[in-house]
Amino acid sequence: MTCTVNGTARRLRVDPRTTLLDTLRERLELTGTKKGCDRGQCGACTVHVDGRRVLSCLTMVATLDGREVTTVEGLAEGDRLHPVQRAFIDHDGFQCGFCTSGQIMSAVAVLREGHAMTDAEIREAMSGNICRCGAYPNIVEAVKQARS
Amino acid sequence: MRSVNREDGPVKVTGAARYAADHHPAGLVYGYVLTSTVARGTIAGMDTGPAERAPGVVAVYTPFNSLELRPDVRDDTAEPFAPLQDTRVRYYGQVIGLVVAETFEQARDAAALVTTRYDAERPRASFAAGLPAAVPPPGGTPETDVLAPGVASIDEALAASDVTVTATYTTPAETHVAMEPHATVASWSGDRLTIYTASQGVRLAVERLTESLGIDAAQIHVINPYVGGGFGNKWGTWAHTPLTAAAARALDRPVKTVLTREQVFTVIGHRPITSQTVSLGAAVDGTLLAVKNDGISSKSAANAFYEPVADLSLALYGSANLHVSRKIVTMDVPATTIMRAPAESNGSFALESAMDELADALGMDPLDLRLKNDSPIHPVSGLPWSSKHLEECYRLGAERFGWSRRNPRPGAVLDGDWLVGLGMATATFGASRSQASIEVRLRDDGRAVVSGAAADLGTGQSTVFALLAADVLGIPVDRITPVLGDSATPPAANAGGSGSTSANGPAVRLAAQAAKEAVVKLAAEHEKSPFRGEAVTYADGEVRGGDDAMPFGELLALLGVPEVEVTATSPRHPRREHAFRSFGAHFCEVRVNRWTGEPRVSRWLCVVDAGTIVNVKTARSQIAGGVIMGIGQALLEDLRIEPETGRFGNATMADYLVPVNTDIPPIDVDFLNYPDTLLSELGARGIGELSIVGAAGAVANAIHNATGRRVRDLPITLDKLL
Repeated sequence: MTCTVNGTARRLRVDPRTTLLDTLRERLELTGTKKGCDRGQCGACTVHVDGRRVLSCLTMVATLDGREVTTVEGLAEGDRLHPVQRAFIDHDGFQCGFCTSGQIMSAVAVLREGHAMTDAEIREAMSGNICRCGAYPNIVEAVKQARS
Repeated sequence: MRSVNREDGPVKVTGAARYAADHHPAGLVYGYVLTSTVARGTIAGMDTGPAERAPGVVAVYTPFNSLELRPDVRDDTAEPFAPLQDTRVRYYGQVIGLVVAETFEQARDAAALVTTRYDAERPRASFAAGLPAAVPPPGGTPETDVLAPGVASIDEALAASDVTVTATYTTPAETHVAMEPHATVASWSGDRLTIYTASQGVRLAVERLTESLGIDAAQIHVINPYVGGGFGNKWGTWAHTPLTAAAARALDRPVKTVLTREQVFTVIGHRPITSQTVSLGAAVDGTLLAVKNDGISSKSAANAFYEPVADLSLALYGSANLHVSRKIVTMDVPATTIMRAPAESNGSFALESAMDELADALGMDPLDLRLKNDSPIHPVSGLPWSSKHLEECYRLGAERFGWSRRNPRPGAVLDGDWLVGLGMATATFGASRSQASIEVRLRDDGRAVVSGAAADLGTGQSTVFALLAADVLGIPVDRITPVLGDSATPPAANAGGSGSTSANGPAVRLAAQAAKEAVVKLAAEHEKSPFRGEAVTYADGEVRGGDDAMPFGELLALLGVPEVEVTATSPRHPRREHAFRSFGAHFCEVRVNRWTGEPRVSRWLCVVDAGTIVNVKTARSQIAGGVIMGIGQALLEDLRIEPETGRFGNATMADYLVPVNTDIPPIDVDFLNYPDTLLSELGARGIGELSIVGAAGAVANAIHNATGRRVRDLPITLDKLL
């Protein structure tokens, strides 16, 4: 199968049991996407497929022939961080950093979808991404900065 | 107070930070652990044939085809026994095997082909059923009494009080749910082991592996600079780690084992279940005359740890008469272990709820009752507190939060469909300063490398290293490279007991100071030095002598010295003359839906007295994080043990509920920032655990104020409010 990952075409021979998450992490050495639960409950593995946020642990890679995948490693342009990445640093939107890739990928999509007009809307839309360190209020502030 | 961005921010927002499971040594194979499906008994047999024949499988290890591992009895927070050394099953979800295969998918699917026969026994899996037979912990102190002269017992003191309250408070098992599941990647080069493993202290892992594998510490290199949260569950080194190392040795190939989320629930320990029966006696003016707390904790049959849950009642408020007792209920459940503010988090829920119940009985404002019993000395030892500003926390917090607007009559404030209540409670956690060593290297490129085998679990510890070293060396923070989580660096303090900054902070400053002195000496004595023979000083990153000044990097380059390296050790503080504790005050507003009983926290303020705050930005986040975990404890978290089977009934992240973004309001944090100079010159006491203590009590008290319901059993779910 062939798919595009962060703008690069990747031709892969895959075990049909393999998820997008394990392909990214174990085959393509894109370890920025994290496995927190492996069953769609925590959001740490959130990536974009054709611009939409998906849980890569629940996405079988064999279904992605011809599709376009973006991971956290594909957001920055060289040394220039994506505005959401910059905002997460500015507002301390993380502590341990393990949920952060998923939070950022969700935030980028939530902003693009126009689901971040109010604080309540941001909090609701970001609730699929668990942060056990409890960076939630800072994440809300980061999304607001990125929105503006 | 300084406030800077996390130094590891750029690598964390770009996915470049490499956690334990992110490593792929060449020739890597994948381990997948097998776990028991009964809670007590012995394994009669395991059929591993189909798994061994499955594609890609390299090895299947079981108690019948084991790897040699030795027990480690030193750390009672983890399991003393080594995995696969016998057929005994001590709890549901215990490691009973390891399948190793060429790919993760192959290992996982082969693991599903293993069948296990048990001689099962009925587990002791009900805390309630075990309560009547609770006993004092073996080797522990059953009770502690402090009684005024002439008082024969705590019950006599209670009987002599004007007003008394008595109630029992219970808390469920909880689990840490750090976002990073435990992972170990082990590879051998000859007789030397390199291991990437999620740990709150790389030296802890070295110690355990030394025992388990029977090799010298010098042969083991543990690397773990980024840790995906800990909260206590990465203090212990758990079964998968020595097992993975032993498999890699036997196979002569690197092995990676990542626990599944379900496995993390049982292979790793959890916070025990507790019960506290609290009696408070007071004079009519609110002066506490008697504090009695009989605490009971669950304890796993697999290890020794339990929560001495009543002990906080000895330290928090002054009283002429104090009594606590400690008992355990032994259960056939996974290891009981430390979780954020062990004992004190649960202990404070009971004590802080009881204080509000006493305030009600006295007709007093709960804040006034706490102000009345704020003690300038430790109530048991009689030692003065090193630096206690709790009264200021209370007063400042009350003013900023608008406490005076609280309606003392429960259930009296209605906003639409929501009953609104205000609650408060005291935050506290013990402080110490352990020994710590730090290395500083000044380099010829003008940078400084600050190293020590500490851990940054998301606490901001690496940024603390950078900030403190930058201050002493007089160079910008971004010219410091902190190196943590590497066992080859000097023995700094591990991340536990809120003790990282209190120990490592002074050591960083000592080492940076020693580095300055070393470069000054070099400047004065090196034969090629332009400052040779002059009275040399150091300021703002420069060496100065005569009329000349030169940044240390330029000087080193000129002299052809690549770096100046020093190591300094800050000693342990003996704590003989003062008692050391951090304090704070929580204030919160909770809204309870009058029709559904749904509780929502809508406002929070925490005022903190924790000594010097090194970096306000990360400290504020850490305090807020503790409050948020406390909101989870108050309203959501409940690890269910099935009494018939000993199985955790909700061991997934969808079923064990923790707060999500929409559950959490803005959290306001204020620091008093009085340096505790009796603890160290730096004056920092540590803040990792402080803010979870009291948080659940504050929520319970606000819910009582909102509804008139006093819920004494956590979590406070809506069914308890209908």
